[in-house]
Amino acid sequence: MEILGLLASGFAIARTPANLFYCFMGSLVGTAIGVLPGLGPPATIALLLPVTYGIPATSAVILLAGIFYGAMYGGSTTSILLNIPGEAASVVTCLDGYQMARQGRAGAALAVAAVGSFIAGTIGVVGLMLLAPPLASFALKFGAPENAALLILGLLMVGYLGGASMTKGLMMAVVGLLLGSIGLDPIQGTPRFTYGIYKLSEGFDFVLVAMGLFGIGEVLANVEQKEEPEVITTKIGGLLATREEWKAAAAPMARGSLLGFIIGVLPGGGAIISSFLSYAIEKRFSRHPERFGKGAIEGVAAPEAANNGAASSSFIPLLTLGIPGNASIALIFAALLIHGIRPGPLLVAQQPQLFWGLIASMYIGNVMLLVLNLPLIRVWVRLLQVPYGLLAPFIIVFVLVGAYSVNNSAFDVGVAITFGVVGFMLRKLDFEPAPLVLAMILGPQLEASVRRALIFGHGDVFIFFERPISAVLMVLAALMLLSPFARWALSRKFWAIIGPVRAEK
Amino acid sequence: MTRDIAAVALGLAVAALALAEARGLPIGTLRSPGQGFFLLWLGVLLLSLSLVLLVHTVRARAGARVRGDSRIGQVVGVVAALAAYTAILEWIGYPIATFLLVLYMVKITYPQRWLLALGVSLLAAGGSYLLFAVWLQVPLPPGSWRS
Repeated sequence: MEILGLLASGFAIARTPANLFYCFMGSLVGTAIGVLPGLGPPATIALLLPVTYGIPATSAVILLAGIFYGAMYGGSTTSILLNIPGEAASVVTCLDGYQMARQGRAGAALAVAAVGSFIAGTIGVVGLMLLAPPLASFALKFGAPENAALLILGLLMVGYLGGASMTKGLMMAVVGLLLGSIGLDPIQGTPRFTYGIYKLSEGFDFVLVAMGLFGIGEVLANVEQKEEPEVITTKIGGLLATREEWKAAAAPMARGSLLGFIIGVLPGGGAIISSFLSYAIEKRFSRHPERFGKGAIEGVAAPEAANNGAASSSFIPLLTLGIPGNASIALIFAALLIHGIRPGPLLVAQQPQLFWGLIASMYIGNVMLLVLNLPLIRVWVRLLQVPYGLLAPFIIVFVLVGAYSVNNSAFDVGVAITFGVVGFMLRKLDFEPAPLVLAMILGPQLEASVRRALIFGHGDVFIFFERPISAVLMVLAALMLLSPFARWALSRKFWAIIGPVRAEK
Repeated sequence: MTRDIAAVALGLAVAALALAEARGLPIGTLRSPGQGFFLLWLGVLLLSLSLVLLVHTVRARAGARVRGDSRIGQVVGVVAALAAYTAILEWIGYPIATFLLVLYMVKITYPQRWLLALGVSLLAAGGSYLLFAVWLQVPLPPGSWRS
């Protein structure tokens, strides 16, 4: 009952005209950038961070969260109608969604995607609401060793799940930790990597790094690719699926919602992995796997539900443990820091208006998105017809104004541009920038926790294994590090090597 | 040069930077870690990961080449325009500097007709100045040459 009272107080906050406006704007902007290829949620959140400086923290988080989950809704529209994923998490929706559109069932695909997204988003918020407070209370028992172990596990998972290559993901995480160590060290205040430059003693502002890597970096990557997506007009048809289609989509939606929720909680997991995994599972266990890729409605319902479920549940590690699991959430983390709020176990208890206001706004936002999306489909398709060449300068202008407004300094504009070039280079070398930004933001916390834990344990590294929670976390981290060897050991190559030896015996 | 070899070189360079910085700081002991302790371990870790990537790359033999697309010149042009923008921003002021930057992008990077290019540049510079400087009160530089 207590939870209902708290939720009611959250609705009282989210229902104010200002917060409803921010929720609506977040959902609308999120859907628009979900539709547009070449501009992802992290870039958009980075661009809009300066806009949130002057508004209350709760409103800022409501706006930025709306962009994040709104993008998951928007991404499906162009996947289905144009075979162009506006957002990475909607790539897999193209497979069957576009085939459905070609068969004149675009309306059914869009309706199932929107309803699936709504159901998964709502289930995700219910899970967030029920799980976050007890998890936060549990995390209050954490000391320095547990914090260090949790951060190590989180960073390993981000490196492991965040990209194609675990080695490159981990390299990015280490570079991010090094970037986070620029400036004064967190315990004794000694300058590091400053090279006598006064401006570097405070380290690089995370907002500038994110704006550069995601905003300018993405624009530069798009400048290099000349081809504009070809816009094909597809007949949308009626927006109602048949009873059979709803029946076929119901179970995949439920499975996708659950899977998305679970994967979204894991650092480095999230919308992209969950959408691919849910599609693979549906296909694997389908009685008619041959229909997948040819317009199976299950192939739209499951991944769309999964990516929205993951978007909601990825707030859990942020709001309870202070660990952002992906780049968008890391930027929301930064927005909270800018407002003087440190996400972590104390947030639910110390900032109940923010926590419950956000939860309530997510319920409202999901309804807004369902109502918004279907009638506005034609508007979104028209938005795609704006050439990228006209859009790119506006993105750049937003980044430059945002970078300047951090400290009213042209030096900061230069920092953002420099990181834009770094982001472009990293993309060229197949590095994912997400582990870098997450590690950068968590670096000072990790260093302080490791050093404090070692001081506390009188230099005994087994301090991390003597306390049960940190021991479990460290064992999980070790298993994750060793998993490539296990995979290798199980691979055919291994059997090919030892096979002849065994035969000789 | 393959993409992964370039990635290894980058990793080794950053690892060397971290180790060099750690050398100049007290490392301390496990009982009392110093300011260079974390950097030293990060340097060692990055060095090891770079070597692992090198082994992977050598074993895979044919690595993908760094894409040397023809539009890399346009990327360099935009970066140069951005650098020039930073250099002149406070002197020439936000509206003019932004107008010139956007004009460069819409005329050179993504060539459009003059009228459209001028219209978009005016809209981007003027519209953003009105939105941020006038409405949201962000103190954008008006240009020191005026005074």
